[in-house]
Amino acid sequence: MKLFFHYKDRDITYENLIEDINKTEEINKYIFEKDPYEILKQLITSIINGNKITLLDSDFSKEELKNLEIIESELEKTYKNNNKVENIEDLFNKIEKNKDTWELTLYTSGTTGRPKKVRHNLESLTRGVKVSEKYKNNIWAFAYNPTHFAGLQVFFQAFYNQNPMIYIFDMNRKEVENVLRRYNVTHISATPTFYRTILPYIREVVPSVERATMGGEKYDKNLEAQLLKVFPNADLRNVYASTEAGSIFSAKGDVFSISPRIADKVRFAEDGELLIHKSLLGESDTFQLDEDWYRTGDIVEMIDESHFKFVSRKTEMINIGGYKVNPHEVEDEIKKIDGVVDVIVKARSNRITGNILVAEVKINDGIDKREKEKEITKILEKRLQSWKIPRIFTFVDNIELTRTGKKVRK
Amino acid sequence: MENKIKEIINIVLEKNNKEKIEELNKEASLRDDLGMDSLDLAELTVRIEDEYDIDIFEDGIIDKVGEIIEKISKRGLK
Repeated sequence: MKLFFHYKDRDITYENLIEDINKTEEINKYIFEKDPYEILKQLITSIINGNKITLLDSDFSKEELKNLEIIESELEKTYKNNNKVENIEDLFNKIEKNKDTWELTLYTSGTTGRPKKVRHNLESLTRGVKVSEKYKNNIWAFAYNPTHFAGLQVFFQAFYNQNPMIYIFDMNRKEVENVLRRYNVTHISATPTFYRTILPYIREVVPSVERATMGGEKYDKNLEAQLLKVFPNADLRNVYASTEAGSIFSAKGDVFSISPRIADKVRFAEDGELLIHKSLLGESDTFQLDEDWYRTGDIVEMIDESHFKFVSRKTEMINIGGYKVNPHEVEDEIKKIDGVVDVIVKARSNRITGNILVAEVKINDGIDKREKEKEITKILEKRLQSWKIPRIFTFVDNIELTRTGKKVRK
Repeated sequence: MENKIKEIINIVLEKNNKEKIEELNKEASLRDDLGMDSLDLAELTVRIEDEYDIDIFEDGIIDKVGEIIEKISKRGLK
């Protein structure tokens, strides 16, 4: 009875998973669900039926769903589960058989205000997945939101090798060390922010960890040293992945290498921007391609023909602990609030989450500023996911503009 | 200085719907006892930086209220 998923006090085996798939009568067209096991079960059931589904963050507010142009009544729509699965082999056979019609839609923060819709098929989602004997005894700590791209990458890597996944993403931090030890976790992939959150609670070394991967945020050398203290047997890696293109590069330290397999699909623009060929991307109507190349917005420095380092970001997107936030989306919500005349949302850097959002707000005369700050925060809590809410508000007489009339965000 | 630190901690706690502290207990853990999550800690470090021009997480991760006070005192700031 091999373990599939550990969540809260539940240990769900691969056999339990198959029973639960067989009990599932309907598959939601939109997976809008809190329970991570339920999300993965629905996802797998949709693949064996070759359905087209959409994955949503469970904490999206009504406003956020409206911005994604999702009609509330659509959320109720379902497909029928027409497949019964006999055993694990049969499950993978059915996946193989129906994978071509299966499609998964994800949303990623767009650069121009509205979130982008990205459609993936199984091939683009599992491009980075490696399956072999070598991986069959891996035990994964699941430390990402399962509705996000990085979480899906961990899921497919573990699932395809029939590995157990131990869900520690929103676990009480004090329990993480025990759980890593109890399940002999060998692999962890998480954002630097997540590692910084759990590190103070890991009192003794966890020798079972063989590989710790960091991704989604800026490389942090100090963190590597701290991780090695608690995971002395771990090989540390950094990955570069995006919702648009999936997992593409990995690095030891901060030097990323381009594998020969994709060498002709990666280019560098004159200003150093990393370009990725469209054949490596998921599908979207909103991608802006430059001929056949996707502009990542990441400025890199070439070391030699097949190695590079990340230098900076070209876009206005702000990375908060691995979540990318579009400041325009936040500004739009704040501007809807009574008494607000204008606002600019900026990043403030820190060593915990990389950045937090801060806002400069211009309000009508005669309004109490402390009260207004509390009121704005209360309203935003209902409308935006928590990391999109500015943590510090300052009230200004004027928002500084550049000569072309653009707001000065730095 | 300790009063100012208490005030900053309470701003962060109150704004994020967490219980304010009455006394500044140096042994208290920011995460366990005060219930701060990573966004709260990030906000706290930025607010302290604005007040004292010092990055409390500069040399690694700290967790006790006393460690913040120590960091600021070392710089001779009051």
